[in-house]
Amino acid sequence: MNYIRHQFNIMRAVALVTYKEWSAYRTHTMVSIFVGPVYFIVQYFIWTAAYGGKSEINGMSLTQMVTYFGASTLIGYLTMDFADWNLQMLIRTGKFLTFAMRPINHRFFAFSQKVGHRFLGLMFEFVPCYIIFTLLFGVNMVPKHLGWTLLSVALAFLMNFYVHYILGMTAFWFIQSSGIRRVFDLLAGVFSGVFIPLVFFPEAMQKFLFFLPFPYMSYVPAMVFTGGFKLGGVTMSIPLIVGLQGVAVVMVIGLCSLIYRASMRHFSGVGA
Amino acid sequence: MKRYLLIYRECIKVAFATASTYRLNFFLNSVIMLLGDILFPLVTILIYGSGAGFEGWTIYEVLLIQSVFTMSMAIADMSFHGIMWATMFAVREGNFEMVLLMPVDTMFLLMAKTFSIDGIGLLFGGIAIFIISLINLTAPTLIMWLQFVAMFVVGMMVMLGISLIMAATSFKWVGNSRIPEIFDSLRSFGKYPQSIFPKTVLIVSSYVLPVAMIGFFPAAALLGRGGYVMFYAILPCVLFMTLGILLYRSMVRLYQGVGG
Repeated sequence: MNYIRHQFNIMRAVALVTYKEWSAYRTHTMVSIFVGPVYFIVQYFIWTAAYGGKSEINGMSLTQMVTYFGASTLIGYLTMDFADWNLQMLIRTGKFLTFAMRPINHRFFAFSQKVGHRFLGLMFEFVPCYIIFTLLFGVNMVPKHLGWTLLSVALAFLMNFYVHYILGMTAFWFIQSSGIRRVFDLLAGVFSGVFIPLVFFPEAMQKFLFFLPFPYMSYVPAMVFTGGFKLGGVTMSIPLIVGLQGVAVVMVIGLCSLIYRASMRHFSGVGA
Repeated sequence: MKRYLLIYRECIKVAFATASTYRLNFFLNSVIMLLGDILFPLVTILIYGSGAGFEGWTIYEVLLIQSVFTMSMAIADMSFHGIMWATMFAVREGNFEMVLLMPVDTMFLLMAKTFSIDGIGLLFGGIAIFIISLINLTAPTLIMWLQFVAMFVVGMMVMLGISLIMAATSFKWVGNSRIPEIFDSLRSFGKYPQSIFPKTVLIVSSYVLPVAMIGFFPAAALLGRGGYVMFYAILPCVLFMTLGILLYRSMVRLYQGVGG
């Protein structure tokens, strides 16, 4: 119990410092208040034109589609991650050595940073955009199942962090891993359903996506938000898909731990 | 003029040398741009593949608009888009004076120094989609081709204007790496047939912030669907670029530093 309390105190301290640090650049975060709604408007016009007189495309109504993009944007603000960039920068510049010597696991430190950074995102991105979507655009942004949505977003938060951290660890071997990160970001953008809901992909591809981490990063929580889940012709109940998302997160955490140990064995530094 | 051409040639050589130093990174960056280029129209392909679409526009017509947009982006990325990052970095680090001390035009030097060949994958991808689209459309006449080239050049002026306004903004909004996101979001109105947007958006995207000239109008000229509207949009585009140049130059004049 004392150990958990101690860890919680560390997390709170690191998160608070990160929050304060990034608060100094809050206009940087607040750019989303302009960018998010503009992209949303573009999506709105695209899909309104694409639907024409149709009531449904690939099992999704226009209202559901608009809600999906709204939810996807808002969830993105809560789960956004750049642990990979941070870690590869520390490795490339040699600064990781100072973390290797500290009596704290860097992965836990980075996670705590993310908590603080995303709390700032909640205040300066999520809340303002939620108000704009709801009051200005008149989109119903109330999740169908609030509890399951919160749980799914929390799991997406973890999934985003651990996947990006694994990506950052490639820098232990490649030093300059910006190319790898860009490849991943592109794949994640497409296969996590940020650009287009995954039900628009060929059915075989949709089935294959169940075995990749991408859908669990954005598509699953956004669909849980809208109240229904379908992928690869499989319709799942909300508790079942959130459970599956939980299993996927546990597997990624396990993989991350294995790679972290290997990275620590591989790492060598000569003073930073 | 000759001196400036020599400087530009040297900068291109340096860009190639840099790319060859980090070969894997350059290769991945080029591949990613190429893949990104393929995936961008994928959304259009998936929309049309599901039986939906934009009324009055075939899939190849929409892909043509997007390929023109992509080619514009690629050329801008390679030739002058880097001025924004270079200015932002120099202002943030406080060493913009070092650029001002050079005996050449500041704006030219920053554009030349940031020449990048990373966008080559994007350019090839754009050209490939452009050719595929054209093969599946009625062959344009010579007049259409001439109009296309003219509109494409004017579209590049808009891209230059955007880059310079972003760079000028970074003098005041120091170190905000998200400035491009603001303009990227606005540029996304130029990637689609303008008929899907309401009239107000249409007026803004054609005459106020003329992003329609980047992808839509050149493609419309090639399809013979431009009409007089695209000619009316030329003047706002030229004015937009002029505004960018004047704004950047005035920000350079206003810059104050204490020596890096």
